[in-house]
Amino acid sequence: MATRKPAFWPWAMGLCAITACSSVAAQTMRKDTLAELDKLSQATVGVVPGLATARRQIASGELLGALATLERVLIHHPDAGEVLLLHASLLCRLDDRSGSEVEFDYLRGRGVPDQQWNEATAPCSPNWKPGT
Amino acid sequence: MTEKSSVRARASHFSAIAAIPVLASGALAAAGPQAVGIASAVLNDVRIESVGARQFRPAMLRQRMALADQVQTGLRSQLQVLLLDKSVFTVGANARLSIDRYVYDPATGRSFSATVAKGAFRFMSGRPDRGHNSSISTPISSIGIRGTIVEGVVGAEAVDIANGERGIGQNRNSDPLTASLIVLRGPGQRTQGNAIPGVIDVTAGGKTVTLDRPMLAVYVPRPGAEPIGPFTLSNSGLARIQALIFPLLAEWAAMAPVGNTPYPVAQPNRPRPPRPGEPFPPDGDAGGSSYQPPYGSILPGYLQFPRPTGLPRPPASTPQTAVDAGVTPQPGPAEVATPQSAPSSQTPALQSPTQTTAAPTPATTSAPTPAPKLRQNAGSLPGSSQPAGSTPATNKQTGAPAGNSLPIPGKP
Repeated sequence: MATRKPAFWPWAMGLCAITACSSVAAQTMRKDTLAELDKLSQATVGVVPGLATARRQIASGELLGALATLERVLIHHPDAGEVLLLHASLLCRLDDRSGSEVEFDYLRGRGVPDQQWNEATAPCSPNWKPGT
Repeated sequence: MTEKSSVRARASHFSAIAAIPVLASGALAAAGPQAVGIASAVLNDVRIESVGARQFRPAMLRQRMALADQVQTGLRSQLQVLLLDKSVFTVGANARLSIDRYVYDPATGRSFSATVAKGAFRFMSGRPDRGHNSSISTPISSIGIRGTIVEGVVGAEAVDIANGERGIGQNRNSDPLTASLIVLRGPGQRTQGNAIPGVIDVTAGGKTVTLDRPMLAVYVPRPGAEPIGPFTLSNSGLARIQALIFPLLAEWAAMAPVGNTPYPVAQPNRPRPPRPGEPFPPDGDAGGSSYQPPYGSILPGYLQFPRPTGLPRPPASTPQTAVDAGVTPQPGPAEVATPQSAPSSQTPALQSPTQTTAAPTPATTSAPTPAPKLRQNAGSLPGSSQPAGSTPATNKQTGAPAGNSLPIPGKP
């Protein structure tokens, strides 16, 4: 009795569909991610939106993301003292004490109000906890 | 079905199977090179040579970055690349970078490799690395990344910074073209948020050194040499690296005059490379280079590059900058390298050590000028975003840098 061989084309078409679908899905995901990156970059063209973005990221625990955001702002606005202050403070929270010392030193003597200075340097204290 | 027609049918089936990946790759090729990230911040002279293109073109903000794109930055320039997984690669002035491999799956993580041929860089992981399979290469070393913030300098600046570090001794016989200084910046063990403590493995000359604490660094002086270290990088060394990665921030911190005054960040004077068959270093000066610091005398004390011994002194008419005994250094004249064209992407431009000249701007008085105030909260700035390449207004002011004492928690 002759056995019937399985048809080839349905299998090939299925493979084709899977390949196409995965390729389209990957492309879509990549496109979405790139759009998200564009949005992040756009948000840091100015100082105010950059600070707002960074604070949102800090609130959600994305300290490295906030650091990158502030660095983007500082590239074009190196004189934005509040951005540098927050950046230095974040370095403390990431346990990069020396990095924060160097940046705080940039700011020393440049008229940072007491309250802002104290808030920024508080995370450098070993007993500091977020939210205190 | 005859034997012959069966063979023909199978052949057509195989042709169809073979066509699937061909068609898929054709579709991908038609869509252009795969973007792995964007140029998220571009400052001044940044050029990118895309795959297939034969020349560098100016980088645009939010331009797509693809694998094997060659990035080259010029004087006072900077580029930040935001990768798909939100990792961040930043290069400073006179740097060359390419991303050689990049695989990202949101479910499992990312692995990548990149090459920094020259200049200063900073890399921050966006996510933990899959199987510790990510690396950054310099011409003479490889840095294995495990979720981290790492900075490095390749070239003459690395030699100069290393010369100022007590942790690594003298007589290192450094190659000013390839010497690499690498430092782990964090996060440390007590990090907060969703960051994980950083670790890197630096391999050179067949030896691997692991850095697992912020500010631990290694120095690879020349091809084939083992890493020197780990040692703890000094704050002044760190400030110098920062000045290379963030040139405008360093200018602002130092209150360097810009605009009409030639800014002494031109190509540094470097010793010539060894000729074939010639012992290294060519000048027989073991342990040092005649490289002159790019920032000359405009930086505050802790940013000052120590002048290597044996270098020609500036002309007598050039005022010297006082950096110690509590005297505030003045921005100003100093010496500048003769303006040079941007270095070629293939061969770094070398200069004679004698190409220094006095800046045309006369010396400022010795009385310190008050440091300018910070730009205070940005509340007034919604429309003030400056385009790439612009110079912040405060940089045009001259003045003395702020105090240099380092312990932080004190009052400003």
